[in-house]
Amino acid sequence: MLSIIRITLKGIFRDRVFQGIMATACAFLLIPVVASLSMRQVTELSLTLSLSLISFILLLLAVFLGGTSLWKDIERRYTFSVLGLPLSRQSYLVGRFGGVALFVALTASVLAATAFAVVLYSSAIYPSERPIVWSSMAICILFDAFKYILLIAIAFLFSTVSTSFFLPVFGTIATFLAGGVTQQVYEFINSPASKDIAPFVKEVARLLYYVLPNFGAFDLKVNAIYGLPLQIDGLLLTFGYFVVYVGLILSLAAALFSRREMR
Amino acid sequence: MFRTLSTAAICMLLYGTLILPFTTYLKNKPVVEKLGYVPTVNVLKSLAVDQKELVGASLVMKVMMYFGGLMEKTSNKVQAPPDYISMSRLLHGAVKLDPYNMDAYYFAQSFLTWDVKQYQIANSLLDYGMKYRSWDWYLPFFAGFNSAYFLHDYKKAAEYYQRAGELSGQDLHKSLAGRYMQESGQTDLAIGYLTAMAKGERNPAMKKSYETRLSAFKEVRRIELARDRFQAERGVHPANLAQLMSDGFLQSMPVDPYGGEFYLQPDGKVASTSKFAFGTGVNKKNSGATP
Repeated sequence: MLSIIRITLKGIFRDRVFQGIMATACAFLLIPVVASLSMRQVTELSLTLSLSLISFILLLLAVFLGGTSLWKDIERRYTFSVLGLPLSRQSYLVGRFGGVALFVALTASVLAATAFAVVLYSSAIYPSERPIVWSSMAICILFDAFKYILLIAIAFLFSTVSTSFFLPVFGTIATFLAGGVTQQVYEFINSPASKDIAPFVKEVARLLYYVLPNFGAFDLKVNAIYGLPLQIDGLLLTFGYFVVYVGLILSLAAALFSRREMR
Repeated sequence: MFRTLSTAAICMLLYGTLILPFTTYLKNKPVVEKLGYVPTVNVLKSLAVDQKELVGASLVMKVMMYFGGLMEKTSNKVQAPPDYISMSRLLHGAVKLDPYNMDAYYFAQSFLTWDVKQYQIANSLLDYGMKYRSWDWYLPFFAGFNSAYFLHDYKKAAEYYQRAGELSGQDLHKSLAGRYMQESGQTDLAIGYLTAMAKGERNPAMKKSYETRLSAFKEVRRIELARDRFQAERGVHPANLAQLMSDGFLQSMPVDPYGGEFYLQPDGKVASTSKFAFGTGVNKKNSGATP
């Protein structure tokens, strides 16, 4: 499995994905200029833009690497030669997932270092009234990486049943959008404002809330931007949720992949 | 090859022909239109997913650019009245997406009060912000000013300033609370407020806006002082500014930077035909008022 992770990482680097990310990351250079347009919160705007850019890059990676990695192997029939080796399908799938997840984690680390430099520069020019909590910023990026690793797991799940890249890519995007609003929907259906909504619809929404991934829990941007305190127990719960959810999705994906007919 | 090059050359030629009228069209596009259509906050909330802070900041930036563009477009004089309703809607949307965004509160405070005269809406927005930015003394400071200066609710103003004082640790706010309890020296206080705001402002359009208003209020204060001296000496209100000038109480005719003319209302209060805003019918005067 470790060799699959290594091969996956090598393949991603060979495809010059990292160079593409670095080219996109050039947008970081513009952040201090754009943030200086703010009237009262230059550093906060620098943080907002930096964290958003990181989030956006990781989203692209999760959708396109996660959605095409396995599909590409099947399409190019690499799976025939690889699975002919003494290697279980499950190990192969987990190895591929591990490689992509590791690449996302590496990218998040590099982008985090860049974002730290950008925020440091902006705050040196226009000192912030609020203290910058660097640890919150690091935790925010870490949980962003967790979120997108979870999304990669979902992309892999779609890849195991799909014969084209449409389902993995668009299914992952749809899950990302749905998972980002489940908490809002849940709060709405439990509020008095939803009294006119049919009970059946409420039950469906409640079911979806528990089934779909809750990406809102991983979003700590507001804590990082405005230096708001983080709740340790909440972070531990979210981390536990991440581990269990990824475990569930990968188990399901592995079960489906092991039964898939390869032609 | 020749065909490809010819096609490319024709496309380049067409682009060259189009780009000038296209740029001219965009340059002259109505400014109100430039604020454009923005979906409702509920739609934005769902679409923004994990980028709510970014979308909130973008809405604020959009309003700032729009307002800044208006100021610049007419050589620092807003001739076309800005679309304040849309500006307010966008800023309210921005704080629903990111209730911590200070730029939104700050900018809304500036135009909702002075320009649109929606003091209650401004204070409701500030109250909403105070629930989130619980460390920030600026919000109660603004709300205190609105309560005293515009709404004449001195009890509420004192409460806000008390809170601002507790958060900032500055006695100034507490003393302001005391001063606001009295309905005197309003123009002086406005000058103090605007001086502080203009000094700390970095956005050129906003700074210009504050400085213009400050300049107008300094002229108002000059007239008020002359009027009070006249009244103290003669025991009656001066009839108009011309009388203050001719009798030597005013050294020069005050100039309204908004393009209006100052006049004395029947109760002696100083007002201007501009109503301290650009493009608000500078030639119309209140009935019975004389310049």
